[in-house]
Amino acid sequence: MQTIFETPKTIKENSRFSFCPGCDHGVAIKLVAQVLDELGLQENTILVASSGCSVNLYDYLELDCIEAPHGRACAVATGIKRAHKVQGKEKFVFTYQGDGDFASIGLGESLHSALRGENITAICINNTNFGMTGGQMGPTSVLGQITSTSPQGRNKETHGFPIKTAEHIALCDGTSFSARVALFDVKNILKAKNAIKKAFEYQKQGLGFSFVEILASCPTNWRLSPLESHNKIENELTKTYPLGIFKDIKND
Amino acid sequence: MLKGNIAIAKAALKCGCSCYFGYPITPQTEIGEYLSSEMQEKNLAFVCAESELAAINMALGAASSGAKVMVSSSSCAISLMQETLSYASSDEIPFVLINIMRAGPGQGYIFPSQADYNQSTIGGGNGDYRIITLSPSTVQECIDLTYRAFYLSQKYRNPAILLADGLLGQMAQGVILKENPYPEIDNSSWILNGAKNRPARKICSLEPNQEKLNSHIEKLFKKYKTIEEKEVLYEEYLCNDADIILTAFGTMGRYSKAICNYYRKNGVKMGLFRPITLYPFPNKRLNELSQKTKFFIDIEMNMGQMLKDVKLALAKDATCKFIKKPIGDWSGQEETIAEIDEILKEKYANNI
Ligand code: SF4
Repeated sequence: MQTIFETPKTIKENSRFSFCPGCDHGVAIKLVAQVLDELGLQENTILVASSGCSVNLYDYLELDCIEAPHGRACAVATGIKRAHKVQGKEKFVFTYQGDGDFASIGLGESLHSALRGENITAICINNTNFGMTGGQMGPTSVLGQITSTSPQGRNKETHGFPIKTAEHIALCDGTSFSARVALFDVKNILKAKNAIKKAFEYQKQGLGFSFVEILASCPTNWRLSPLESHNKIENELTKTYPLGIFKDIKND
Repeated sequence: MLKGNIAIAKAALKCGCSCYFGYPITPQTEIGEYLSSEMQEKNLAFVCAESELAAINMALGAASSGAKVMVSSSSCAISLMQETLSYASSDEIPFVLINIMRAGPGQGYIFPSQADYNQSTIGGGNGDYRIITLSPSTVQECIDLTYRAFYLSQKYRNPAILLADGLLGQMAQGVILKENPYPEIDNSSWILNGAKNRPARKICSLEPNQEKLNSHIEKLFKKYKTIEEKEVLYEEYLCNDADIILTAFGTMGRYSKAICNYYRKNGVKMGLFRPITLYPFPNKRLNELSQKTKFFIDIEMNMGQMLKDVKLALAKDATCKFIKKPIGDWSGQEETIAEIDEILKEKYANNI
């Protein structure tokens, strides 16, 4: 018999994701685990987990892991990477953060890690709201978006504009790779996996800060079905957040 | 001759500190300036962080690798780091934080001050935790206690603070830069270096299980109890036959020694008790002393932060007066002596 699909080795045995039904976190984590398997990185990796819906990521992945205070994942990752380096060891270090963690409270640490060309990778799940606390408006919420703290919809006059994180990170000279991907169909899931793989490979090659922003669904707080959520990403969110590679040091 | 700031930096390197993260703030910037060139030459990790928040979180990450890690800063900027001190205490991640105090509250100014006693020993972070706090009174002690801060921090897997005031940071004294006297601590059972040939490890403070969270805190406090039993340090000066004992920490300890000498010359039996560890506080020894000596004067360059710990430690029938040294005022002892004279006049008038 031929094995068509296996749970990645990096995912802990018998682990069950506690995400809401239809949430894209599960897909994103599976892709990350697959890429770590394919690149043979699991035993040499340190994961920096963050605050938000993915807070207990270490319960799903068979990786050494440290929890960062809210927003500080890239600073914690910087310390880990540098400390191992002075001990003569190259460790693979990545953060897995939500948009609130990476681009709101942690924007300073995120941008400066990119500017320093810190040789780490950050994965940012952008679902355009603070999911864990019940769907409040975040800096990534799009204009017009109704959330529990923007009941009339986000408007630019009082709330300002959404942040295009992948484009900002691409502007930093220390960035080796910055892309925005989505998970609403198989084609895009494969593209997302390729982007994650490239980001991880660039760290392995010591090229600097690599970044993947993943547009992801949050059906619970969007009050949509999983399918409607994916339609919303494909047809609405990609207008504010176009998909693509904004920086690739090898093509520049 | 070494300045306090440079002495601390040299001591850190001598005991194997391989990672430093910092952000400039007077009066401690020389620590980072000195280390920036030294560490680069030695291929160690020196990062000019974008903020104190980033610096202390880099320390959190770096220390999880088992490296010896130091951050230095001052008062208002240490305020910004309180969240991570709380995390590191719960995570049991060791690193050393140097606080060269300046005057507050708020921005205050760069005048020497001792107003971070509370910040350090009680803490500004959330939850039940304690930070080991060592308080040097000379440049030599800056060196000795930097070694000790690294050692205790590693031994107990807890952050440790070296709490010095601005004067000490800037003052030059003759010192001996001896070797680090403490043994290395084996950390191989908990550090994060990749899950190879062993199950993955996690370091986190999040604990959604009520029982487990309770027992985690109990475990931390068992450790703190050991620290309180084993790691108390203090200096006693002429306390044996003293009628009056001054209590003071840090540079004020040194200052108060000169005052003792003055009164001894004038026939008053005065002694000095100087806590070196502010947490754990030497309350047991202070209580013993107060069984015999009944009159204490606490001198601090703040509004009386250590005072409450002194009062708590003393026997019920002992008296404790307080002299507030104005911030930034390190000049002569005349004013303090005049204040003590007043206190003594009252004491002898009332025959306390
Ligand atoms: S709240 Fe949203 S992001 Fe969080 S688990 Fe549920 S669907 Fe996913």
